[in-house]
Amino acid sequence: MIDISNVSKRFQHSNAVDGLSLQITAGELTVLIGTSGSGKSTTLKMINRLIEPDSGSIRLAGEDIRQQTPEVLRRRIGYAIQSVGLFPHWTVEQNIAAVPTLLKWPAARIRNRVTELLELLHLPAETFRQRYPHQLSGGQQQRVGVARALAADPEVLLMDEPFGALDPVTRGSLQQELARIQKLSGKTIVLVTHDIDEALQLGQHIVLMDKGRIVQQGKPESFLLQPANDFVRDFVGQSDAGVRLLGLTTVASRVQPTARAEGEPIRSDCTLREALSQFVSRQVDRLPVVNEQGQHAGALLFCDLLGGKAS
Amino acid sequence: MNKRSLLSLSLLTLLSVGYAATAFAADTIRVGSKIDTEGALLGNIIVQVLEANGIKTTNKVSLGNTKVVRGAITAGEIDIYPEYTGNGAFFFADEKNPAWKNVDAGYQLVKKLDQEKNQLTWLTPSPANNTWAIAIRKDVASANKLKTLSDLGRYISSGGNFKLAASAEFIERPDALPAFQSAYGFKLKQDQLLTLAGGDTAVTIKTAAEQTSGVNAAMAYGTDGPVAALGLVTLDDVKGVQPIYAPAPIIRADALAKQPRIAQLLAPVFRSLSSATLQQLNASIAIEGKDARKVAASYLKSKGFIK
Amino acid sequence: MSATPAHNGHTAGPDRVWLLLALLLLGGCALPFLTHAANRLLTGHGIALTALPGYLPWLLLAPLGVLLASPWLPDNRPWHWTRLLATILLGNALPWLAGSSARLLDSDAESLARISFGGGFWLLLLGSLLFYMESSRRLALTSPWRTLLTLAALLPAGLLLASGQLNQLSLLREYDNFRDSFDSALQQHVQLVVLSLLPALLLGTALGLLAFRLARLRDWVFPALNIVQTIPSIALFGLLIGPLAWLGKQLPGSGIAGVGMLPATVALTLYSLLPLARGTYAGLQQVPAEVRDAARGIGMTGWQIFLRVELPLALPVFIGGVRITAVQAVGLAVVAALIGAGGFGAIMFQGLSGSALDQVLLGVLPVVALAIAVDAGFKLAIAWLDRKNHDRHF
Repeated sequence: MIDISNVSKRFQHSNAVDGLSLQITAGELTVLIGTSGSGKSTTLKMINRLIEPDSGSIRLAGEDIRQQTPEVLRRRIGYAIQSVGLFPHWTVEQNIAAVPTLLKWPAARIRNRVTELLELLHLPAETFRQRYPHQLSGGQQQRVGVARALAADPEVLLMDEPFGALDPVTRGSLQQELARIQKLSGKTIVLVTHDIDEALQLGQHIVLMDKGRIVQQGKPESFLLQPANDFVRDFVGQSDAGVRLLGLTTVASRVQPTARAEGEPIRSDCTLREALSQFVSRQVDRLPVVNEQGQHAGALLFCDLLGGKAS
Repeated sequence: MNKRSLLSLSLLTLLSVGYAATAFAADTIRVGSKIDTEGALLGNIIVQVLEANGIKTTNKVSLGNTKVVRGAITAGEIDIYPEYTGNGAFFFADEKNPAWKNVDAGYQLVKKLDQEKNQLTWLTPSPANNTWAIAIRKDVASANKLKTLSDLGRYISSGGNFKLAASAEFIERPDALPAFQSAYGFKLKQDQLLTLAGGDTAVTIKTAAEQTSGVNAAMAYGTDGPVAALGLVTLDDVKGVQPIYAPAPIIRADALAKQPRIAQLLAPVFRSLSSATLQQLNASIAIEGKDARKVAASYLKSKGFIK
Repeated sequence: MSATPAHNGHTAGPDRVWLLLALLLLGGCALPFLTHAANRLLTGHGIALTALPGYLPWLLLAPLGVLLASPWLPDNRPWHWTRLLATILLGNALPWLAGSSARLLDSDAESLARISFGGGFWLLLLGSLLFYMESSRRLALTSPWRTLLTLAALLPAGLLLASGQLNQLSLLREYDNFRDSFDSALQQHVQLVVLSLLPALLLGTALGLLAFRLARLRDWVFPALNIVQTIPSIALFGLLIGPLAWLGKQLPGSGIAGVGMLPATVALTLYSLLPLARGTYAGLQQVPAEVRDAARGIGMTGWQIFLRVELPLALPVFIGGVRITAVQAVGLAVVAALIGAGGFGAIMFQGLSGSALDQVLLGVLPVVALAIAVDAGFKLAIAWLDRKNHDRHF
């Protein structure tokens, strides 16, 4: 979908991005991760030409992005940022409608789209439509920010640390929300973060950057199981690697449908990491499991955490 | 409102201002005057006489101080305004010339100089003399039989009670108080002087009338209105120490060429304005608080200059 | 509100603000209420409140009593309303009392004698004004209501003025004498302000915008405008005579002149540039950077960002700048009289040179009134804009 080839960008005294080449697969959520100054944000902003590269080329759906004016390009690409950047003098509806309005959609279509997006992000349309940003909580503002980015049904969604400013609880629920929307819509998403847990949870493809170059890229597990070097090992946090690995798998994949257990059931869409926490805190070796509809689905055995069974 | 319409609106306003100014400038006589009481009076007299005789005017009366008005007429922004003959000494930096102390010689000299150097024509002057003078409280004057500055010189030298309110300019300028002192043989001590900021005789006269800080005499002008009304008398300059300041209309030669009638129209009016008459008219502006325009109109009507 | 000791500064004694204002009123009662002079140039002798003819002064007692007792009265809403009502009564009774007394003291409309407001009148008026402001502040009235109430409070005084009840007062006699000049002064004054503000709006906004966009420009625009601002107004008017007269000579028939309306307008325009440019700049600068980033990121063009995001967000601050500029221009236009542009300054300077204080007042009071009216107008507009923007707060 996006083909970044040998792109460099130099700021005053340092190479922000240094000869970077990267393919971003359509329909996948790619996470760019790294410390600050690693060039991840610069890379993202070059995709919608908020920053122009010094050399190299970027193609979007096979077409060089320089073929279009930056404004036209940006209207094809959703964009959400950490501080949300909602327009304070516009209502939620006007904010979400920003890009469709720029694209001169008919009013009725815009209105329907806004309703649809508010429902998608669990914001009751009639309650929120006419509110102003300052009347919303941080999490609600970020939802509106995501809705605005999705409004014109863009081919690609760029997100620059979208959940960075939120408290852990709100962040967690919005991360789940994003994963759900991504699954639902099959959008190509490029997300920048410095939070390894967020990267592991959301990323289908993770790109770890340092000093403007790619250190390692691949599936989440590969970072935990085959770190390329000490930098990667440090970054993913060696001591927590096992627990994080459990975080990548859901209970559903290890549940024994015929097994039985006592106590408060856990949901099958929980991660094994959460299940481990339950095993330890309840001091048991098996947990009852219910499916997403709350129906009995068997039990999870402590020994199955180590894997293999699902196959 | 978008930017473009704002822009065109402003341009339109600016244009219309300019346009209005040009329209006025084209075929009317622009009458100016100084901002003081007598300036307003004489300026309005000129405007009304011209208008009554079918000459269109633009009223720029009370334009500013002498510098502003003089600058305006030499720059061609006004056509006519009333000026004083004695001021020629300063316009042409010729203070030493004795001609300024003579009514006719002073007038002829300034007329000649202005005509040659600035193409400004001095029309018939008034017989009044609005020169610097010293006014003293009536009670003091009558008790000590003071009529002239010579009397005053004797009175002060013999230790009479005297304190003068004046502007700094009057006290310091060699041709003002110092000239009076040397001509009439008296010398005021520092505690016999009260310096007031600005040069307004209304303030000095008021100070003497109210005996503020023991002041009993004031710097005044020959045609000041409030002098008599506030119970002061002007002492005669019998030795002619001061230049003569006779008011006369001065007009740009090109404007006069277009409307030569102006000279004949204004001559009898200015000739009628004696010192006493001007004092009276100035007084009704200063004391009664009447508008200079109305005072000018009622005077011109009473004398039959206008209907 | 009433019982909390914190409001009264920990001591349970009388409220200090009210006490101070009550003392001010008391001082006003002690000073001469009117002055009586033989003519308009002379300083009058004072007439105390108690020496006013007839029973009239006693009518002040009720509202005055409430206000003087104010420090010991409860600090709650009903009593604040009572105070407010008392100030309105007192504020309107003062000119009425002055006018009626003047008629009783001297009924001859042609006499030279003048009856003017004395120090006591002004102090009492100031006291009621401060009482009014403090009461309405404690009542926490919102901007549009406050303005409406103020207009209503001024109504009786306005009617009094129109009815001719005050005509024997020196100020009104001055007005009667200068009626024609007054009307043209009003017209010229408004003209000066409007004609200087329009080009200044255009230029000042443009300068503010440019300074915001180009940092290099900012480094000299504001210092340069600051220098203009520090030139005394009379000097600036004077400085313009030369170049403009020269320009007028070069372009005969252009209407450009060194004296009169044009240089005054140019000078006022120059003075207006700094607050306008600064208001524009400050308005744009307080637009959050992330909002601007987001606007760019979703694909707005430079113009769209300016018109749809920056402009509306900068507007309240910008209008605040316009408000300051307009009020300043109303005041500065007074000096324009010195170069023949007329306006209320002409009346004021005539009065100054003629030592006629009431004529000075006749020139100054309308300027003050005009400035207050302009200020109130803009405050209403800003309140309306804020309301429209749903009280955005950052």
